[in-house]
Amino acid sequence: MSRRHSVNRPPTPDVRDDDEDDRPKEPTLLEIVNIKLIESGEKERLMELVRERLVECGWKDEMRALCRAFIKKNGRENVTVDDLVRAITPKGRASIPDSVKAELLQKIRTFLVSVAH
Amino acid sequence: MSMSKEDDLSSNSELLSDVFQYLLDCIIVDVASESHRIARLGLDRNLDEEEEELRLSADARARTSETCHSSEANGKYIVDIFGQTHPPIANEIFDCMNCGRSIMAGRFAPHLEKCMGKGRKARLKSTRSSTASQTNRYSRGSPLSSQSPYSNSTALNQLPNGSAGNEHLNGALEEP
Repeated sequence: MSRRHSVNRPPTPDVRDDDEDDRPKEPTLLEIVNIKLIESGEKERLMELVRERLVECGWKDEMRALCRAFIKKNGRENVTVDDLVRAITPKGRASIPDSVKAELLQKIRTFLVSVAH
Repeated sequence: MSMSKEDDLSSNSELLSDVFQYLLDCIIVDVASESHRIARLGLDRNLDEEEEELRLSADARARTSETCHSSEANGKYIVDIFGQTHPPIANEIFDCMNCGRSIMAGRFAPHLEKCMGKGRKARLKSTRSSTASQTNRYSRGSPLSSQSPYSNSTALNQLPNGSAGNEHLNGALEEP
């Protein structure tokens, strides 16, 4: 079947040769922070807060309009989630209002400080 | 997490922006996924522009025709934006708190005028105190003399009961 999958998931990383001596892979700082965010529930709170702010300022509507335009142009059946993500990410990152960005950065900073101690 | 001070600062700011980007990307994926789902399931009715135009014009045509046919053309009632009609005279029935009769809401104001005493034709409700009843007796004196004999005798009969009965009779006499 030549049909494209809706969601393209990157293939599971193969086990590398160096790991065969059972040394556990070093988690990145980001991964550690992510785990701490999830465990403390802070990630959920932050996501909810940011989602709410982005809805209020109309960012989400802009993104959805971009998606619809993309879908209209390329045909409803041919579009994958990855296409849409790739289509809206540059504009999405650029059009975050400064106040929302500042608020989120502040909250992350506070969290990192609390985690480091 | 033990690091030297310089490492701390630079990696912290880098970490900060990494976390920020990461959260933002999560949200972007959510929005893209939601739009994707709506498009693929055909839940977005307006996706096709031409059919949207047709639908809008059809809706507008329907709306103008229904407003023309509804209110004045019928002649009777005015239809409000919820499609409800209201009779010109309010017809909910309730009890008057002064005399206790069943009154139609649209006729309540005129009823109250007579019921509560705009002038000589209505009687005030008597209270238990003797002074109040004395005042009533005095006030009954004048209406008695000016009215017909019929009301005289009935008023005398009603005396021990207070004025509530009077109002009834008066009301019955006066109302069409």
